[in-house]
Amino acid sequence: MPESMVAPEAAGTPLRLEQRAKLSSYLGLSLKNGLLNLLTLTLYRFWGKTEVRRRIWASTYLNEEAFEYSGRGMELFIGFLIATGLTLVFLLLVFGIQLLGPLAVLLILPLYVGLIVLIGFAIYAAFRYLASRTAWRGVRFHMAGSAVSYGLKYFGLMILAGVTLGWAWPFVERKLAEPLWANLRFGDRRFRFSPVAARKEKVYGPFALMWFGGVVSYAAVATFFMGLAMQPDFDPAGDPAVLAAIYAAALLFGLLFLLISLPYRAAMMRSVARGIQFDGVKVRLKIGALAVGWLYLGNILLIVFSLGFLMPLVQARSARFILNRLVLEGEVDFGAIHQSAESGPRQGEGLADAFGLSII
Amino acid sequence: MRGKAHDGETAAVHEVEVEVSSWAISFRLGDEVQLWRLSEIEVEPLGDQVRLRRRGQGARLTVAAEDWRAAAAGDAAPVARRHRRRERRLVIGLFIAAAAILLFVFVGVPLASGPLARMTPPLLEESLGETYAAQLQFAFPPCAGEEGQDILHAFGDRLEDGMDTPFNILVEAVEAPMVNAFALPGGRVLITGDLIAEAETPDELAAVIAHEAAHVEQRHVMQAVWRSLGLGMILDAVVGGGTGAGQQVVLLAGSVTELRYSREAEAEADARGQEILQALGYSSEGMAPFFRRLAGDEQRGERRAGVMEFLSTHPDSLGRAAASEGRARPGAPAFSPEDWRMIKAACDGAPRRSSSD
Ligand SMILES: [Zn+2]
Repeated sequence: MPESMVAPEAAGTPLRLEQRAKLSSYLGLSLKNGLLNLLTLTLYRFWGKTEVRRRIWASTYLNEEAFEYSGRGMELFIGFLIATGLTLVFLLLVFGIQLLGPLAVLLILPLYVGLIVLIGFAIYAAFRYLASRTAWRGVRFHMAGSAVSYGLKYFGLMILAGVTLGWAWPFVERKLAEPLWANLRFGDRRFRFSPVAARKEKVYGPFALMWFGGVVSYAAVATFFMGLAMQPDFDPAGDPAVLAAIYAAALLFGLLFLLISLPYRAAMMRSVARGIQFDGVKVRLKIGALAVGWLYLGNILLIVFSLGFLMPLVQARSARFILNRLVLEGEVDFGAIHQSAESGPRQGEGLADAFGLSII
Repeated sequence: MRGKAHDGETAAVHEVEVEVSSWAISFRLGDEVQLWRLSEIEVEPLGDQVRLRRRGQGARLTVAAEDWRAAAAGDAAPVARRHRRRERRLVIGLFIAAAAILLFVFVGVPLASGPLARMTPPLLEESLGETYAAQLQFAFPPCAGEEGQDILHAFGDRLEDGMDTPFNILVEAVEAPMVNAFALPGGRVLITGDLIAEAETPDELAAVIAHEAAHVEQRHVMQAVWRSLGLGMILDAVVGGGTGAGQQVVLLAGSVTELRYSREAEAEADARGQEILQALGYSSEGMAPFFRRLAGDEQRGERRAGVMEFLSTHPDSLGRAAASEGRARPGAPAFSPEDWRMIKAACDGAPRRSSSD
């Protein structure tokens, strides 16, 4: 048998990321997942989602080598069952408290506070699961850190965003991104997140545009509703024309807000990408507001006109859009990266699924 | 065949020469010889390549897809068949689970909702009703006319004599921009000011109140609470994060069953309401004309779980009018002309609300 040989790869190898998903191949998968979801009351979704992820990972190449997604539908399903149990306990608590009488509202409030912490917890757990099921060249990613402390941090930052009327939001978004990336590991190497580098991307200008634009368009829509409600024969339930006007105004507001938030969305994505570092490699995301706008518009149209069926296609084209605009600057010595003993959580991100939070 | 391998220990690439036999492949990886049985190899297609792994191990081998097809000629097909069979079993299992859940929620829970409602301790139902009332108070504030409210209270108390119920029937006129009446769990009956304005005779208003009181006596409200609890659980739990289509299926099925059950409940409350009036010597002739008048311009309010509405969402007013006409008996008017004026004036004092929420 001939000797195996380590391919001649310089100690410092430059990196090239490429997403080669063939979008047409997601049409059949979308149809299959959609039909099976209908047939099984959406219980199939965990397996459908797993196949979508596997395909997207397998068509993402770093230096001509495809990523590997090793998650299983059953893991997501078990995580979901656990989350369902917790949700039922929560619902029963809320119902039981209602039986205590009118003052019960005071007791329900803390429960909802706990729910916000739980959302943060779920986001972290989902990220951790995804990392642990991702490998490249046979070396696994994984995440350190605690989901509970992320949940508490999430709660605190949401309060901060609220009391500053949203003005702390860019700060909050970066702060929320930081632990997700700073705790990520590839084998025995750690990723880092540099807030200093992230701040080099200016986001407050686009944010101000979004904030003031949002307030102005909200005021416009609110005035429209007030004018409608002041009319003597106002009856939203009885008159289909009034109902249609209300929906149209809400839709218009949604689209308008989306449009003016595009520069901020693009800037924040660039900012977070710029903060990510790995072994001396720096990350740049080359996207602008216009390109993000086209991506969103296409996604919205695909989802609306397919009644949600084409979700896998939307996820694939979004992944292709982002990943092909990521530029990795710097070199890595791959031979020196070793597998870590960490194997990740046993169940999937059920909580995140229950809240509809997982990113993909 | 040639391939690229990773040992599962480092991220280095090993160029390897793979030897193929009828039952296994082997290649040298570092110091070790890897021997993988075809039966334990998992295959992942990657365009014109395939990535092979041995179940449960970190090492990976990537080879050209056509090389692999030639190498595993006999064994590739059974692997694919096994995969398809496993998926079919999964889908059938999930389908059965989904059917069982639907059966439980749309047949089991509704069937159980009657007994469950009768088994619910009245004290529990009362405190639930108080919670609802506290919440509704903001949307539907009580009308300001105290004399009118007192007369309605007294009528509710009188109705209890003709009923078989542990609850205290508490009738109240409320401000709301719609013609409607509601029964809450635990005996509270809300009549909107617009409905009082719409009623032309004491008989008509008495018929509405007696109908709502019958809902309370038959514990229809509590049944609806149990059913909505079952539906809510399924919505939150099973289709929680699913695609929009699945949620729509459940919601649609839910509203169809709810419609069927509320139709039965309405018919029962119509008949029982008239019986209560007759037992107390009141006229039960008010229902039919009121339904007829409203059938023309039926206005619908927002549906809330745990609230029985006089005008339910089904456009069956004419049928209900005809049925109640057959059962109607003459009797004493429920309110004297003086009382009737007071009731009519009960909601005139407070400012009319211009928006609905
Ligand atoms: Zn009714």
